[in-house]
Amino acid sequence: MGRTAVAAGVFGSLVAASAVLGLMVACTAAPERIDGARITAGPTDAPRPGDVAPAASPVAVPHIPRRSAALDEQPASPAPPARLEVAALGIDVVVRPAGLDAQGRMALFDDPAVAAWYRWGPAPGSAAGSTVIAAHVDSLTYDLLPFARLRDAAPGTEVVVTDAAGARRAYAVQSLEVIEKAEVDWNVAFDRAGPPRLTLVTCGGEFDTENRRYLSNLVVTATPID
Amino acid sequence: MNRIVIAGIGAGALVALGAVAPANASEGTATLSVLHGVPDLTVDVYVNGELTLDDFAPGELAGPLELPAGTHSVAITAADAADASSPAIGPVDLPLDAGANYTAVAHLDAAGDPTATLFTNDVSEIPAGQGRLTVRHVAAAPAVDVLAGGQPVITDLANPAEQTLDLPAGTVSATVAATGTTEPVLGPADVTVSEGTLTIAYAWGSLEDDNLALAVQTVTGMHSSPNGVPAGSAGLAATNAPEQQAPVWAAIGLGSLAALALVGATARRTITLRSER
Repeated sequence: MGRTAVAAGVFGSLVAASAVLGLMVACTAAPERIDGARITAGPTDAPRPGDVAPAASPVAVPHIPRRSAALDEQPASPAPPARLEVAALGIDVVVRPAGLDAQGRMALFDDPAVAAWYRWGPAPGSAAGSTVIAAHVDSLTYDLLPFARLRDAAPGTEVVVTDAAGARRAYAVQSLEVIEKAEVDWNVAFDRAGPPRLTLVTCGGEFDTENRRYLSNLVVTATPID
Repeated sequence: MNRIVIAGIGAGALVALGAVAPANASEGTATLSVLHGVPDLTVDVYVNGELTLDDFAPGELAGPLELPAGTHSVAITAADAADASSPAIGPVDLPLDAGANYTAVAHLDAAGDPTATLFTNDVSEIPAGQGRLTVRHVAAAPAVDVLAGGQPVITDLANPAEQTLDLPAGTVSATVAATGTTEPVLGPADVTVSEGTLTIAYAWGSLEDDNLALAVQTVTGMHSSPNGVPAGSAGLAATNAPEQQAPVWAAIGLGSLAALALVGATARRTITLRSER
């Protein structure tokens, strides 16, 4: 089923990409509104206990995860990221939590020294999922911004994220993609499951001067260095 | 699929383009968690006659379990029982629908007698920025109000009823009081309601025995994702800016060549597969 079609589709798409299609996609010049960058503090006490060890029994009992449901034994929310450094690219920015803008897109900060962390998704200390940090690539006021240099991120480039509790976590760049906005699978970029990873997002590719928007997003994926 | 692959990514991404979405794990199965809300009674739980939870202690939450849709029989016995023949609670039949999410709770009824209730968890999508809070009254106590920040948000909740509301994600300072009053019988306690997540708070125990407590269960996965990241407005980093033209076309050229090679490989594999049939 469909393999030939897929292959043909890929081929066709690449031809289209090479021909540089101008798709109508959203990367507007309007300043983005931040919907309240409040940090939610979770319960600070009581580290989460492990599963209760199954008691010895003569009967084979399936292993079913168990935990205390007590309110004060709920896992604490991980600390939000506070700083992002990519030394090789001269990037060192403050990171603050951000939610959505009025159009359901990730809200970003106009301050050129501040990158946005998608506060509803995973944090660097989360057990799973993609921590998303995004920032503008440029601005009419501030010229090119630090995230513009992400396009030079080579595989293996080290990225360090420091969270609000002071913990530093290092990541290595795995991939860099420039994807037309209409084609980006945001459920992948903002995935809350799967192995812990870091996703950096900015704009890139062609610029539509008429509508003052980039036609693509630049997406860098990095995985933790143990 | 208009991807321009620049670095560090090759076959994996292109193979992924042709990948079929994984089969839905919940197809034909239901998800069941079990909460033990009977004070001072360690139990064994039998599902369809099989010992499933051994020495299950009060205040513990087990699961989630994936079970085939259909009706399952659950019996709860004293922890030292040899089998399910003389249960302390049940046996009760739990009709589980495919794709649905349930919590079975062993608890006290309003009069203080052990019973069990099957609750259906609301796992419909939650608007971005919000969390869902369900409060369940499974305690030997009269009807209650739940107050958040001093204001009643849930009123006249009686054992074994539940109420659900979606609210901005954050921490709720919750107090449980007898209906129509504000004097806490439980709390105030900080309950974290995470975005895109169902947080279920259970009031359990016995008012008379002075062991009322809050238990919390969370069910994740009802979130949505942002639909874009608008991250540029000046065009200064654009690949079609005049000084950028040469490297861009080089990148596109290289990317296309690599991709074409992979497409070729895919096509060859397709032909091979077809010829083997």
